[in-house]
Amino acid sequence: MYQYDTLDREFLADRAAEFREQVDRRLKGEITEDQFKPLRLMNGLYLQLHAYMLRVAIPYGSLNGVQLRKLAEIGRKYDKGYGHFTTRTNLQFHWIKLKDAPAILDELASVDLHAIQTSGNCIRNVTSDPYAGATAEEIDDPRVWSEAIRQWSMLHPEFSFLPRKFKFAVTASPKDRTAARVHDIGLVVRRARDGTLGFEVIVGGGMGRTPHVGPTIREFLPANRLFSYLEAILRVYNRHGRRDNKYKARIKILVSALGTEEFARQVEAEWEKIGADGDVPDTEIARIRGAFAPKAFDTLVNRSEAFEEAKSADPAFARFARNNLKPHKRPGYTIVEISLKGIGDTPGDATSEQMEAIAELGELYGQDDIRVTHEQNLVLPHVKLDDAPKVFAALQAAGLSTPNINLISDIIACPGLDYCALANARAINVAQDIATRFADQERAELIGELKIKISGCINACGHHHVGHVGILGVDKKGEEFYQLTLGGSGAEDAAVGKILGPALPAGKVTDAMDALVDVYLRERQDGERFLDTYRRTGDAPFKEAVYADAR
Amino acid sequence: MKALTANRLSDGEVVFWKAGQWVERFADAELFDDAALAAAEAAEGHAKSQPTVVVEPYLIDLIESEGLWAPLSYRERIRALGPTNHPGHGKQAEGGAVIAALQHAHGAARSTGRVDLIKRK
Repeated sequence: MYQYDTLDREFLADRAAEFREQVDRRLKGEITEDQFKPLRLMNGLYLQLHAYMLRVAIPYGSLNGVQLRKLAEIGRKYDKGYGHFTTRTNLQFHWIKLKDAPAILDELASVDLHAIQTSGNCIRNVTSDPYAGATAEEIDDPRVWSEAIRQWSMLHPEFSFLPRKFKFAVTASPKDRTAARVHDIGLVVRRARDGTLGFEVIVGGGMGRTPHVGPTIREFLPANRLFSYLEAILRVYNRHGRRDNKYKARIKILVSALGTEEFARQVEAEWEKIGADGDVPDTEIARIRGAFAPKAFDTLVNRSEAFEEAKSADPAFARFARNNLKPHKRPGYTIVEISLKGIGDTPGDATSEQMEAIAELGELYGQDDIRVTHEQNLVLPHVKLDDAPKVFAALQAAGLSTPNINLISDIIACPGLDYCALANARAINVAQDIATRFADQERAELIGELKIKISGCINACGHHHVGHVGILGVDKKGEEFYQLTLGGSGAEDAAVGKILGPALPAGKVTDAMDALVDVYLRERQDGERFLDTYRRTGDAPFKEAVYADAR
Repeated sequence: MKALTANRLSDGEVVFWKAGQWVERFADAELFDDAALAAAEAAEGHAKSQPTVVVEPYLIDLIESEGLWAPLSYRERIRALGPTNHPGHGKQAEGGAVIAALQHAHGAARSTGRVDLIKRK
C-alpha cells in the first residue's frame, strides 16, 4: 500500500484546520450558505434529506485495517454505527452534523484519509481492479498507475474547475471489474509485442442522462507517455467542454459531438505541443511501484487439505467457496469476496462492528489489505486457502457470509430517495424486495450470473444503464415508478441497456423480475448467462412476459 | 393546508416551523390553512432571514391522513419520518399517531423542495 509522507500529512492537517475555520465562519454567519456550499463540497460534505452526508475517498478502493477501523469508529461516534460503500468505491456517512465535520476530517487525516475531490467538477477518486496484485489475469498492477493518477490529479491547478466532474478507471485484466468503458477516461493496461507496457485509452464513456460506452481513442499509448497524454485530453476537454449547460458538460458529450476521430486528432495535436515535459519520470513511477511490491507469499501447494475438508464437512462453506472465492495468482491462496448484500439488507451498508470484523480478518489472514468493489462489496485479496474456513466462520459470526457474489441478489443500489436530495424514487427497498424474492440459494445459483443495478434518479449512481437488468426510479406526478432496461453491461463487453417498455408501479417490479427470470430459464441455451440469452433472443420474449397483463 | 420546513444548519436535522421557533417533530409543526396563506408566506420570509439557523426553508403542502395531516409529497413524508430501510433511524423511531398517519398517507405530488433544488441548479 502507498504510504503518505510528512508533506502529505502536513497538508491534510492544514486542510482540516482550514475547513474548521470555514465551518466556524459559516455557523457565526460570517459567510453565507452560497459562499459556504462550494467549500463544504470540496471537502465531500453534502446536505441531504435527513442530515449532512460525508463522502470519504477510498483511493482506488484500497484500505488497510487501521483505516477501516477508523471508519468504523467514525461511524460509531458521529453517525448511527454504520457506513455505506458506494459504486465509486468510496464510503458515505449519512447522518453527519456540520458541527462535527471538522473533527471527522481530523480523524480521517490521522489515518491518511480525507474527503477531498469527492465532489465538485474535478478529477474524482480513481476506480481500479479490486483483484489488483492478486489475480493471475493482470498484465501489470493497476494500482501503480491509479496512485500516480491520484497524485497527479490531486489539487491539479489546471483541472480543479473542469466543465463537470471527471472519473477515471484503470484496469490491467481482460476481465474488467472497473466499468472502464463507462468512465470519462478508462485505461486498460496493454503490453505490445515487443514487451513495452502501455494503455488502451478509452474516453467519453459515462452514464447519467446520456449514457455512452466510451470509444477507444488510442489503441496503445506507451506507459511512459501517459501523463502528457492525459493532460492533452483534459486540456481539450477543459477548453471545449460545454460549460453553458450542466447537462451537456461531461466529456462524453464533447467526444460524441466532435466525433471520436476529431476528438482524438485534437488530443494528439495538443499532446505534441505538451511533449515529454508533461510526463512523470520513470524514477517516480518506480518509487510508486515500490509501494505495491507484493508482500511475501508463502510457498504452498495448490491443494489445501484444510480447505477441502471444510468444504466436505460444511455445505454452507462449500456454497461460500463456490460463489465468493476467486482464483489467486499464487498456489494455495484465494481472493475472498465479502458480500455487503445480505438478503433484505441495504446494499453497500456495513455496520461499525462489521467493518471492525473485516479489518481484523484482513490483519490476521489477508496481509492487511482490504478492497472496495464498485459493486459495493469488499474483498480480502490475499487469503491462504488453509485459512479460508476460519475467515468464513468469522464472517458468518459477523453476518457477512452471504454466498451471492455475481448472483441475482448481489444488487447494486444507490441510496435513492431514502437519503438523497436528488433522488426521484427509492432504490434500496426495490433491491431488498428482489433479493428477498430470490433468497432461495439453489434457485439463485441455477440462475447464475445476473447483475441487477438500481438508481433512484437519472444521474445513475446505481449504474442502471449497465445492469443486465437495470432499474431506474422515476417520479410520475409524485409517485414512484420504475423503468426497466435490459442488456446492459459494465464489464469488458460493455453495453448500454435498452428500455423494455413503460415504467412499472413500485409494487410490480419484483414480479416483473420474476417474469424476466422465467423467460431466461425457459430460453437459455448451454452455458448462457442471462445477458447472453437476452443478446441472442432480443427483448421480445422478455417484453411479452412483463407486459402480458397490460395487453 | 401547509407547513414550513427546512434543515437545521448546525446538524442538518429536518425541522418545522412553530410560531417563530423550529421544532423537530412534524407532529408539533404549525399548520397553515388556506385562509392563513399570507401568514405562511410571512413565516417563510422570516425563516429565510435566519441563515445561521436553517438552510433552504420552504412551504410544503399537506393532505389528510387518518384524520390527521401529512405531507402530500412522498419525499416530504420521508424527510418527516426517516429512511424506510432503517425504521429505527430518524423521527419515525419515536412512533405515535402522527407518525403512523404519515406512514399510511397516500398523497402524491412533486415536492416543492425538490422542484426548488432543480430550479437552483
